Amino acid sequence: MSTDAIIITGLFKTQKETLTAIEKIQANGWEVTEVHSPIPSQDIARALDRKKSRVGWFTLTGGIIGFVSGFALAVFTATRWNLIVSGKPILSWIPFFVIAFECTILFAVLGNVLGILTQVGLPDPDYEKNYSAACSGELYGIEVASPPADVDSLKDLLHLTGSLNQLRKTK
Amino acid sequence: MDTALKKPSASLTKNVLFIPALIAGAGFACFIFFAATAHPEKAWLAYLTNFLFFTALSAGGLLFSTLMHFTKARWSHGLAAVAEAFAAFFPVSFVLFLLLFIGQGHVFPWMGQDLHGKGVWLNVPFLCIRDGIAFLILYFFGFAYLYNSLKIRLKNAGKETRLKHFLLGLFERNPHDPERIRRRMTVLAGWYMFAFALVFALTGFDLVMSMDPHWYSTLFGAYTFIKAIYAGFGAIILLAALVHLNPHTQFTLSSDRLRDMSTLFFGFSIVWGDFFYSQFVVIWYGNIPEETAYIIERTMTAPWRGLAWTVFIACFILPFIILLSRKIKESPWCMIIVSSCVLAGLWIEHFLLLGPCFLDPDPGHLPIGIRDLIITIGFLALLIFFLLFYFKEFPECLENTSEREVQWK
Amino acid sequence: MSQLTFETINTTVLNTLTRPGKIYWGIIALLFAGVVLGASCWAYQIFMGVGVAGMNTPVHWGTYLINFVFWVGIAHSGTLISAILFLFRAGWRNPIARAAETMTVFAVCIAGLFPFIHLGRVWLVFYMLPIPNQRTLWPNFQSPLIFDVIAISTYLTVSSLFWYTGLIPDLAIIRDRSQGMRKKIFTILSLGWSGKTGQWLNYTRGYMLFAGLATPLVISVHSVVSWDFALSVIPGWHTTIFAPYFVAGAIHSGLAMVLTLSIPLRKIFKYEPLITMDVLESIAKTIVFTGIIVGFSYGTEVFISWYSQNIIEMETFRWRAFGHYAPEYWIMVICNTIIPLLFLIKRFRTRTIWLFVISIFVNIGMWFERFVIIAGSVAHDFLPNAWGHYRPTLIEGGIMLGAFCLFFFLFLLFVKHLPSVSMTEMKEMIHKTE
Repeated sequence: MSTDAIIITGLFKTQKETLTAIEKIQANGWEVTEVHSPIPSQDIARALDRKKSRVGWFTLTGGIIGFVSGFALAVFTATRWNLIVSGKPILSWIPFFVIAFECTILFAVLGNVLGILTQVGLPDPDYEKNYSAACSGELYGIEVASPPADVDSLKDLLHLTGSLNQLRKTK
Repeated sequence: MDTALKKPSASLTKNVLFIPALIAGAGFACFIFFAATAHPEKAWLAYLTNFLFFTALSAGGLLFSTLMHFTKARWSHGLAAVAEAFAAFFPVSFVLFLLLFIGQGHVFPWMGQDLHGKGVWLNVPFLCIRDGIAFLILYFFGFAYLYNSLKIRLKNAGKETRLKHFLLGLFERNPHDPERIRRRMTVLAGWYMFAFALVFALTGFDLVMSMDPHWYSTLFGAYTFIKAIYAGFGAIILLAALVHLNPHTQFTLSSDRLRDMSTLFFGFSIVWGDFFYSQFVVIWYGNIPEETAYIIERTMTAPWRGLAWTVFIACFILPFIILLSRKIKESPWCMIIVSSCVLAGLWIEHFLLLGPCFLDPDPGHLPIGIRDLIITIGFLALLIFFLLFYFKEFPECLENTSEREVQWK
Repeated sequence: MSQLTFETINTTVLNTLTRPGKIYWGIIALLFAGVVLGASCWAYQIFMGVGVAGMNTPVHWGTYLINFVFWVGIAHSGTLISAILFLFRAGWRNPIARAAETMTVFAVCIAGLFPFIHLGRVWLVFYMLPIPNQRTLWPNFQSPLIFDVIAISTYLTVSSLFWYTGLIPDLAIIRDRSQGMRKKIFTILSLGWSGKTGQWLNYTRGYMLFAGLATPLVISVHSVVSWDFALSVIPGWHTTIFAPYFVAGAIHSGLAMVLTLSIPLRKIFKYEPLITMDVLESIAKTIVFTGIIVGFSYGTEVFISWYSQNIIEMETFRWRAFGHYAPEYWIMVICNTIIPLLFLIKRFRTRTIWLFVISIFVNIGMWFERFVIIAGSVAHDFLPNAWGHYRPTLIEGGIMLGAFCLFFFLFLLFVKHLPSVSMTEMKEMIHKTE
């Protein structure tokens, strides 16, 4: 994408219209850089050819760390004070399992949150770029990049496909 | 217990029932021989284990259909048809239950013991009557539900066989619109599930827990019916995957449906693990000798210790780790292997709970022998016989129903 | 529901966030007074010692533990609705998920206060943390009480993060429709969410993993709480059924609390098109289910106590039903198992007044269940000369009142400042049915 490309954002009312518009835009050679939607949509993700989410790996890693840490914590603290308490062995796996389980969930969730934040890209101070407030409410916004020369034909195409409103922002 | 079956192709039609019948007969003969030896309680142990396992499995199978209908789940229509086939085993199960009392002297280790007041509850006539009535009630609701379900499924069926002639005749004499049938099914499904919980809790207490009459655990009843549901769901996956892979049937299982079912199965492996752990941790921690003797014998002394670990690994560790993968959940072959593994583990678990009550301690030898295996395969063949019989009678159940079914995306 | 569009959902919910009136502030002030009363009682207890509460030999766990278990139980059904029903793809959860999750977060906070209140020397609470210290002591991780510390802290952390993550898209909606200071606050809170496809992809994956993790957490946390009792050897406490029994009971009381909260919410905020009667009916039906499980547990315990032929077990359960605390026992049985059966009759589960009244009864019953189990078992255990009674004192009553007021205070603050129905999930729901 050239550095002086202009981003036009078209706003659409329903997901169906959005999908047909994306098809038409891509068929005409323009690149859809982003779509803002009020609700998630697998179809839009597929139309934009987005890769599968990697958040799960963060969660799994967190879970494994948690499982090991839970046992490690329990084993470490038990071995500091080698007294038999109520007849149970110093290293008893059955109660320690509860600690390990809770820590697994805790660290998996922390991993999950880290994954969400990093993969979703939050906090995002620049969110307002090419963004319309209506996209959080009820409209779908399609961002299309185009070299400055083709901007008018792009605007026409967007209008043709049912776009209600158009914003023009330089990249 | 090997459950990688070689299913005969359906084009053999009448002959397809012959092989399982033969194997079942062989198993039965083996049982008779075994029972006539010096250790009849070993034969009866195998009989009881198999009776409990296959009854639980078949009732749990039908439970899937009732549960999905009751909760108005939309994803499971095709699988529910396969699940309902397990109800074909109910009459057999009841007969097997009655036959159990032939060997009552060997089946109930508490006979002749001083039960310190429990004799009011643990005596053969009362046990036979209450458990018999319980099973009858359960099977009544199961069949009533199945009757109504078949009314919808067999709407366009022909009267090819005598059973179908009879059934379709009944349908014609009592016509109802589908909405009313579905409402009835919902009510019957509710009653079936309620009865299922109570009946399996009762039979868990009566036919498994009381084999050691001095031990008790309040969770045992619930644990029994959770096992039954777990086994039932595993059996459904196994059956559905096999029918799907069979080129002679119309039935297809989309990867989405299989994944959903496998996810439910995965959930139940965790539920089973949780129930198992709940019993175990309370007894272990309290360390009261009255309660721990049972657990120690089964999980910490040879030869039972090996079986206990096998059960834990097969029913929890392996499914938990393996079923985390999405691809495995969507593959029929992988799920056949995983569910067979779980079912084998659950069978061993049934054996493990009962075994020490029947057999003398013998650390050197594996308690499961060749004869137990043959009897088990006999029971399995009996189940397969009735499943094949059901599908032969009602091939409409294996059709791909397009209504309400979400196909490939 | 077919009249709902994205716009109407937005406006219905956003309209609830307008400037509150005098009545609202009046109620808030009243509740706050209740909180202050509770706090004063607690302060009094810290100065005078735990003896001002009614605990003594033999009953050393009283209303503080009862309330602890009660509030953890309430928290559980919030997670059931938001996480477990999400995994089962039950659409009826969407309108109430937000309120339920919020209920969870606040209920866990209040539950977490009670072990703290129960400590006589509150300033020594840090003893429970596994940090290196001068005493060269570590917590004993074999103890179920320490399981509780880890489990409840985990539950609090996870529910808060789950709640907040779920809020982010809604916070963005509010940000985009406010000005000035409000806009600034919500801009920070929504972290710059802009609904990009990549964002949604990762967000939904993360949310599903959250739900998948919260589910075993819910079950394990209340099982751990039940093991506070079951891992002892007291008859009436030491029984294997406690884990699933407590989890089912928790969901039972929590669902009742959801009804108690959402029915007035629905009326006052005019949420009828969003929280339809179908949703309330589904909650009622689930209450029947959990009530049956609780009833099954009662029956099993009684049966096994007879079956055991252990004179102490038999006496414990005989005394529960016919001894000093018999009224509490029968309130428990009737309110938890018999009254919810009324929901089997359509008339009772489709009229909000009945839904509300029965939900109150269920919560009363569940509180008394914890009383019967916790106080009742220890009051009458092995040795007859150790038998005794327990009566809560006014201080305990004040603290309990303060806790209830705190819960409703926090919840009322929430409903006026944050969206009490998840707009995003409602939109997803109507989109699916289009």
